[in-house]
Amino acid sequence: MRILVAEDDAISRTLLERTLQRTGYAVISVENGAQAIAELGKQDAPRLALLDWIMPEMDGVEVCREIRRRKGQAYTYLILLSSRESKGDIVAGLESGADDYLTKPFNVDELKARLRTGHRILELEDHLVEARESMRFQATHDLLTSLWNRGVILELMSHEIMRSRRERSCTAVMMCDIDHFKSVNDQYGHAIGDEVLREVARRLHNSVRSYDMVGRYGGEEFLVALNKCNPESAVSRAENLREKISARPIQTAGKPVSATISIGLALSSEFTHSTVEEIMHQADIALYAAKAAGRNCVRVAHPSGGDKPTEEQPKETQVLMP
Amino acid sequence: MEKQPMETAVEQPRQSEWGLNELMERLDGDQELLRELLVMFREDVRINLEKTRSAIGTGDYEGLSRTAHTMKGMLRNLSMGAAAETAAALEKASRENREGDSRELLEKLVKELEGILPEVEAQLAGVGL
Repeated sequence: MRILVAEDDAISRTLLERTLQRTGYAVISVENGAQAIAELGKQDAPRLALLDWIMPEMDGVEVCREIRRRKGQAYTYLILLSSRESKGDIVAGLESGADDYLTKPFNVDELKARLRTGHRILELEDHLVEARESMRFQATHDLLTSLWNRGVILELMSHEIMRSRRERSCTAVMMCDIDHFKSVNDQYGHAIGDEVLREVARRLHNSVRSYDMVGRYGGEEFLVALNKCNPESAVSRAENLREKISARPIQTAGKPVSATISIGLALSSEFTHSTVEEIMHQADIALYAAKAAGRNCVRVAHPSGGDKPTEEQPKETQVLMP
Repeated sequence: MEKQPMETAVEQPRQSEWGLNELMERLDGDQELLRELLVMFREDVRINLEKTRSAIGTGDYEGLSRTAHTMKGMLRNLSMGAAAETAAALEKASRENREGDSRELLEKLVKELEGILPEVEAQLAGVGL
């Protein structure tokens, strides 16, 4: 593990360096507080630091305060080195953000023991951060496909549509549904059905740009939002997604399963006075039109078509593909 | 004015009290490191004594206190206990702007270091063989 030693006295610094190196640490040494701050602010900064209390430019207590002021960085375990006379100041040192203190000249066993305490705290912090990140992922992602879950994709898409309005650009909203998915479950069982869902999700996710968004809307339905999409290329991009699914069968543990999707496409630039919910509704109507047209195809919602489609051929959709 | 205890200590020259065994224990028996530290010490003592004399000459008690603090740490690290305590007393006296005490303590520190330096040289000669 890496450790920072900030100590202006060369003898003390050398002594600490060698002792720590013998204990297995990779030591980074600096001579004053300002250098310590610079080292601890780096991307891959050491998580353990031994700071002399009295140093030129910036003392150890100021370094502690500055490090604790910084938010969003991984926790750094700070140990202040103090002389025996400074005991009365130890409370102030700890309140400045130091985790522990060590009296100079240090006892090697005590130094090692205090560093082990630091390790325990850092490990605990790592576990907590890991648990928090895992919970954050679970709260925002669909557990089966690892795509954004319904709540998050709707929120992200909503923000994106608002942004595209402000910037007079276009967000393409695609409602995608796996065709005859119920028969996949009936024929092969739910485990294979889950594999199909995962692979469709993977192909959709891998077929869009990093700043586009894909989420699981529910069951076998997926929502794709293409940000800053050129309206003229939206249909071909939807076609591309559809082909990515139908192009080759999905290899499952049981056997290869052929799958296709139908896509209902709505362009935010075509519905400038509609709410996000209305745009979603239009994409949904277009999806039904695609289903009605025989599935494995793309249909585009058109604002001039009214809002009461027939079951077979919704007026709102404009049939672009055979 | 009542004399302070530290002033009486100035009257009694003491022999060097270098805890070499304690130091070697701290260094885990590393002779090479001992040599490296002692070479540093020899140079640092010279520089810091110059600094203290210059500070006391110009009445820079803050600077004197800082240098005394550095010397205290260095001496403690090398288990030179008595000299370290004198440096600590000098740090305190100069922080409190006690000119007379500071001068006496500096002289005491110089004497103690004069006692230690030959031992350091001998050690360096022995270790270096």
